[in-house]
Amino acid sequence: MSDQKTVLFPAFRYILPSDYENWLEQMAAEGWQIDHIGQWSSIVMSFRLCEPKKYRFVYDPQVSPRKEYIPTYEEFGWEYLGRMASAHIWRMEYEGERPQAFSDQEGLVERNRRNLTAVSISFFIFLATVLSIGVWLGFAVDSLSAGDRIQLVIAGVFFGVILLALGYFMMQMRKKLQK
Amino acid sequence: MGENMSVEKARKRYIPMSETMFYILLSLKQERHGYAIMQHVKELTKGRIRLGAGTVYSSLGKLEGDGLIKSIREEDRRNIYLITPLGKQILHEETERIAELCFNYKEAL
Repeated sequence: MSDQKTVLFPAFRYILPSDYENWLEQMAAEGWQIDHIGQWSSIVMSFRLCEPKKYRFVYDPQVSPRKEYIPTYEEFGWEYLGRMASAHIWRMEYEGERPQAFSDQEGLVERNRRNLTAVSISFFIFLATVLSIGVWLGFAVDSLSAGDRIQLVIAGVFFGVILLALGYFMMQMRKKLQK
Repeated sequence: MGENMSVEKARKRYIPMSETMFYILLSLKQERHGYAIMQHVKELTKGRIRLGAGTVYSSLGKLEGDGLIKSIREEDRRNIYLITPLGKQILHEETERIAELCFNYKEAL
């Protein structure tokens, strides 16, 4: 059995922050550990097989956290794993009662709202990009070389696929949050 | 927004108040940082309320942004906060509201 496991598009499989946290916790309980989260972790994550541990994970979307953000969590005993886009990931080993970073309903609702806002902003950035490419192709098609046209079409398709994925992701997130 | 938030606007936003906000404001009648607030609230409520790091961090940001508390200095990468006159007024009004609830409940018994 391999002592490495790679998971593709984890952030897109576990749409709600709590689903993502529970999945990481389940992986850790099975011995699959991750010690660092980076910008590419929403696309690909590599786990290594170790001793199973009981960890509580926290997914906290913070676009521009204040200076005291990391010291506050650390003082409460959380270990910083890193960030992917605006989401900061924390963990804490525990026994008995499961630790909570968001101790009230209001905080949880606010966290989910911040996450939805972050995805919505990405969606609109990609929408603007796809529309710009479309307008560019529409108005300047005669002045572009065949090579440039092909490059623009490829870029449009590429960003369009991401746009569709983000739109789907946003809809699923809204549905789950409404439930 | 910040220090300029009117009392009227603060009333609309904070009254009625969540337990979390109430205890954070109450704790900041004395200078405290985030972790010390959590310890104080845990002690006050005999362990019933254990504020989490994310809740404390975001609540402090919200209260400071609305001018109910202010950061007075920094110690070891931590901000030390204190309640402002606006925060004191809102806390007082919320306490009066809760006292009225208790009074009416007892009267109805």
